[in-house]
Amino acid sequence: MPIPIVQTRNLTKIYVRDVIGTEFGRLKIRLKNRKVAALKSLDLDVNEGEIFGLLGPNGAGKTTAIKVLMGLIFATEGTATLMGKPLGDKSVKASIGFLPENPYFYDYLKGYEFLNYYGQLYGMSAAARRKKIPELLELVGLSHAEDLPLKGYSKGMLQRAGLAQALLNDPKIVFLDEPQSGLDPFGRKEIRDLILSLKEKGATVFFSSHILADAEVICDRVAILSKGRLMNVGAMDEILSARIKAYEIEAMNLSEDMVSELEKMSERFIRRTKTVLFVVEKEEIALAIVKKIIASPGHLVSYTPRRETLEEFFIRNIEPQNV
Amino acid sequence: MSKIWAIAFNTFKEAVRNRILYILLVFALLIMASSGIVGELTISARERIITDLGITSINFFGLLIAIFVGIGLVYNELDKKTIYTIVTKPIDRHQFLIGKYLGLLLTIYINILIMVFFFLAVIYYQGYMDFDVMSKALWVEQANGEWASPTVISYFMYYAKAIVFSLAKAFGTLTLLYHSPLTQGILLVVFYGCLELAIITGFAILYSSFSTPTLSAMLTVLTFIIGRLNADIIVFADRMKEKGFETSTQKMKYIFAWVAAHVTPNLWLFNRRTSLAVDNVEIRLEAYPVLYGILYSAAILYLAVHIFRKRNFK
Ligand SMILES: Nc1ncnc2c1ncn2[C@@H]1O[C@H](COP(=O)(O)OP(=O)(O)OP(=O)(O)O)[C@@H](O)[C@H]1O
Ligand SMILES: [Mg+2]
Repeated sequence: MPIPIVQTRNLTKIYVRDVIGTEFGRLKIRLKNRKVAALKSLDLDVNEGEIFGLLGPNGAGKTTAIKVLMGLIFATEGTATLMGKPLGDKSVKASIGFLPENPYFYDYLKGYEFLNYYGQLYGMSAAARRKKIPELLELVGLSHAEDLPLKGYSKGMLQRAGLAQALLNDPKIVFLDEPQSGLDPFGRKEIRDLILSLKEKGATVFFSSHILADAEVICDRVAILSKGRLMNVGAMDEILSARIKAYEIEAMNLSEDMVSELEKMSERFIRRTKTVLFVVEKEEIALAIVKKIIASPGHLVSYTPRRETLEEFFIRNIEPQNV
Repeated sequence: MSKIWAIAFNTFKEAVRNRILYILLVFALLIMASSGIVGELTISARERIITDLGITSINFFGLLIAIFVGIGLVYNELDKKTIYTIVTKPIDRHQFLIGKYLGLLLTIYINILIMVFFFLAVIYYQGYMDFDVMSKALWVEQANGEWASPTVISYFMYYAKAIVFSLAKAFGTLTLLYHSPLTQGILLVVFYGCLELAIITGFAILYSSFSTPTLSAMLTVLTFIIGRLNADIIVFADRMKEKGFETSTQKMKYIFAWVAAHVTPNLWLFNRRTSLAVDNVEIRLEAYPVLYGILYSAAILYLAVHIFRKRNFK
């Protein structure tokens, strides 16, 4: 067993908010404590070198978990270690990169100045900064904006700047809270590629996301949170493959009689411009349909046994939280 | 340490790129410049007015910067969440807070330096505007015993020289190469004012590390006022003690006044403007106020760090 690079045990966070409210509609102001259990007894192990996805609907506690790990807020209960050391260890912080959710930075700084300042905080020498910063700006596609104050950055540009600052120190672990939010499809793909290249370099990537399709493609393992509780954790195919599969059969040039006959056999039927698509759950029926298509004058275009997508898993298992 | 400086320098940069600072500075300089054109008074009367006005405005604007920049310093970082990517870098939270404090102090002191420079120049300029001095320089006795009246050009040259020389002398004073008895006193008074601002800035940061900017501003102003009244409160408490206590409420009042006077900073130590007005009081650099200012600021900062270290950054 490899040593987990991130480990949490019984990690619990209860937010206590002081709310000034009126009682029973009367003007009697009193201080109430409203408690929100954002994280309930979370046990996680993330292995070195893997891409780990923290998934869950809005308000599930993803950001809370990352903030506790980053030492921004303190857990109400439980413990966590990063690289085997307790949270807040400075030598560990030196090899961590962190991109917060919807990041915001000093808007009076120019792109280059911003990275230069953060490089100083990492304790990088002037020479190292001079070398690293242009590389990173290039990597995240912000070379053209290095002299522009962050005030003038778009949401996606800020996200990229945030990513650049998280990579200044060639981190061993990168924590990314929704790295793809605010990015266009190109940007999302770039991030995906970037995460994969980080893994290639041996870094561990811990990220939270809503974009399940992307998480599905790149994650080695995922944890699924709902209402602060860990629902599921494991390799993507462990979580998904055990569940029902669907079979998709696409065909063309079928006679109308044939189409209506097959439609009756399948769970779902979709008519496309040139082809028709049958979706069935049982393998025997799928094979029967395929045989009929082959025997007919029509053509079989494709036959795809499909695993359940993460999205379907989500919708089936997790009710949206009332935030 | 280099990380603290990086934070301090960035804080300075933030303030410098903030328009409010320039508005304050220009305003302060205008007030001082206007003090230079007070009517037909003797030099010493003029100097007194200018000194009073100059020192008051330096203290006042220093205080304004300390309060208005100081209260937002920590709060804005939390509010805009810029702090998230700072304290997750390999620095400690106390380094962040100390860096912020030093950065703000640097901002205030540089502003004061600019104000003092300008202020000294205005003072030196008065020396050139004295009637006797001016006529001696401008009216030239000719061979036939008559006095040639000055030309426009010679007037212009005289004013130009006055301005250049005043600025040069002001610069010389700041670099400690040149001084007059008055300007030496001014420098010391301003120096004491800087110590006072170090304490007030500490309070601004302390308050802003746990409350909103508006509340911090009010608390800081309150602290300043109590601090300035500190000596009076001590006198008041002593007098109560001399009279003796008849009731327990009196005793309570005494204890309260005593505690208030000893917990709040004694800012009276740093207010030397009035001694400057009395000619025969020489202002000296004393060890006690300097130590008091430094230690008190350090204590306040320590308290702020203590609170800040345990905060959840939501
Ligand atoms: N500062 C706070 N004070 C009180 N409650 C909070 C605070 N921050 C978060 N919460 C609550 O904690 C729960 C988890 O929030 P969290 O931000 O961790 O969710 P999330 O999974 O990151 O959601 P999203 O996908 O929307 O970013 C929510 O119910 C939220 O209302
Ligand atoms: Mg979140």
